[in-house]
Amino acid sequence: MAATRYQAPPGSLLVRALDDLTAVYHRPSGATHLLASPAPEILAALDGVAMTADALMLVLAVRYDLADADPVALAARLDELVAAGLIVAA
Amino acid sequence: MNDDDAIEPQHDGPLPVDAAPTAAATRRRALMLGAAGAASVLSIRPALAQATGSVLMCDIPVPDAGHAGGFIAADGAVVAAGTKGAFAPPSRPLKGEDVRRAMQGGGVLPGYDYDRSRAYLKYVSRLQRGTAGFTCFASIQMLRK
Repeated sequence: MAATRYQAPPGSLLVRALDDLTAVYHRPSGATHLLASPAPEILAALDGVAMTADALMLVLAVRYDLADADPVALAARLDELVAAGLIVAA
Repeated sequence: MNDDDAIEPQHDGPLPVDAAPTAAATRRRALMLGAAGAASVLSIRPALAQATGSVLMCDIPVPDAGHAGGFIAADGAVVAAGTKGAFAPPSRPLKGEDVRRAMQGGGVLPGYDYDRSRAYLKYVSRLQRGTAGFTCFASIQMLRK
């Protein structure tokens, strides 16, 4: 069975940094979301690119100095983004 | 990976004088995946997209107050009262729910014939921001997606 892949559909998001937070306007729903780290970083990695949680962890580890490379924590953050409708799981 | 523990500042410019030495030490930005259990996503739904019920309760005056008494031409334009081929305005504002159903199903507005419904719906679809009924129409558009 193939692992779940996550992605923010290309062109669906309008992103603006607001000091410590990031505002994301989701075009398909018209909803605005305020994201705190690490959600914006995860979203940036998945913007238009589908990948598994394992692959995402690798990408984040390359881009950032991960304080806790915890797959459970990453899964929880992914669930939040899926629940908000910002990314899709397939 | 021999630069992971680099301790020299990586910036060309001066560092803030109060920067802690340990904070300045890392080359890449630190990221914490499990941020103390706090939710990292706060969603703000626009009033437009709130409960379906409130959206459908909205009204669209036809025409808006600024053109009260005007007739509605077949293409949705507001024209002078009595213009031939144009329709007298509805006696009461259109209900958002009725407009949504008519636009979705290509049907007619309750109580009006096909041509009249079409003229009214064209008027609605031409509404601009700032015109009475625009917010209601925008809500309907959002629900249709």
